[in-house]
Amino acid sequence: MLRRFRLEEPESVAEAAELLGRFGESAKVYAGGTELLLAMKEGLVQYERLINVKKLTGLSDVTSADGAFVIGALCTHHQLENSPVLKDKLPALTKLEQNVANVRVRQVGTIGGNLCFAEPHADPGTLLIALGAKMIAEKASSKREIAAEDFFVDAYETALQADEVLTKIHIPVPVPNARSAYLKFGYLERPSVGVAVAFNLNGGVSGVKIAVGCAGPAPRRVAEAEALLEGKSKDEALRHVAEAGASAGRAAQAISDLHGSQEYKEHIVGVLLKRAFQSALS
Amino acid sequence: MQFQKEVEILAPREKVWQFIWDVDRFIACVPGCKEAKTIEPGKRYAATMVEKVGPFKVEFPTTIEVLEREELTRIKAQATGADNKIGSRMKLDLDVHLREEGDKTILSFVAGVDILGKLAALGHGIIKRKADQVLDEFAQAVKTKLEGDG
Repeated sequence: MLRRFRLEEPESVAEAAELLGRFGESAKVYAGGTELLLAMKEGLVQYERLINVKKLTGLSDVTSADGAFVIGALCTHHQLENSPVLKDKLPALTKLEQNVANVRVRQVGTIGGNLCFAEPHADPGTLLIALGAKMIAEKASSKREIAAEDFFVDAYETALQADEVLTKIHIPVPVPNARSAYLKFGYLERPSVGVAVAFNLNGGVSGVKIAVGCAGPAPRRVAEAEALLEGKSKDEALRHVAEAGASAGRAAQAISDLHGSQEYKEHIVGVLLKRAFQSALS
Repeated sequence: MQFQKEVEILAPREKVWQFIWDVDRFIACVPGCKEAKTIEPGKRYAATMVEKVGPFKVEFPTTIEVLEREELTRIKAQATGADNKIGSRMKLDLDVHLREEGDKTILSFVAGVDILGKLAALGHGIIKRKADQVLDEFAQAVKTKLEGDG
């Protein structure tokens, strides 16, 4: 059962940040509520105040500025899976969003909420790391960028400070030959492993970024695996992709749980990386 | 969940043994442990364990019972606690061994940790990792404290 709480309705990001600063750990930002309210109903977390940011304006669109797509943190997964501009330029993100959880979650769950809750088995963070995204965190009087790969600190923990609000996500507009893919696999409600790959294909493979999620406590970039593919010709990269997969598996910090043993997850990372790379090439 | 840890301490075994029974100093080495008190010296103790994973916090009022004790060599203890707010229980079986190696003491322990109830919703992997971290920090803190005393 949901216990009593006070609902704060700030009218600006600055006001929301100020409330977070003032009430500290007894308050939490509330947007879609798909994860937060479940945890509260279960009694796993308790907050005296929820800071409803749903009505804040300017955080629910996908736009572009300065060579980047700007995704408002309040965009729902449903909005993102149907965004024409993303479908055209970032089909990997569209596909990911089409497969987040279920239709009920996608309808109300927001991308910002998903990232801030930092549930280890969430999808978007992994691809955002590979795409070189930046998170925009705002306080009452300041603003900073956090690289996606630095955003996820641990299970359920992000680099956001107590009085910071995630407002936007910037994803660099892909260059004409940019390729990316995200694949996941699991047999329970949430994925056991998710792997994202992004690179430029100009004769050879360059600018390779690989990220692994769901397997460990937080999604992480695996530079060891990237180095094995970087600068290779297409054929050479295909020959090295199994080795890169094994390296990514080892670096994934996979933990054994109901979603699979550590060894199993490490193996699946390799399988998914190979398939994701092939899919991005085709 | 079973964990096995070993820590090498540059201090005589007697000193390590005495340290273990000095509740206030010992408790300071257990991450998240507060308000420890002795109910029956050498047999029963009470403490509150507070742990945190992201926004999830648990507070277990815990009873620690010493089951077996072999002077300077071994302690077997069991700790049990329940967090009624979250609806979760914790059980810890601890088997601690001390042995001498030259001027060092090897403190080794096997810990069996069981977490039951709603907290288990966080997932076995996350809880196991947290418990492992706590035990590592504990072992390291004991070493630092004893070696720091000179």
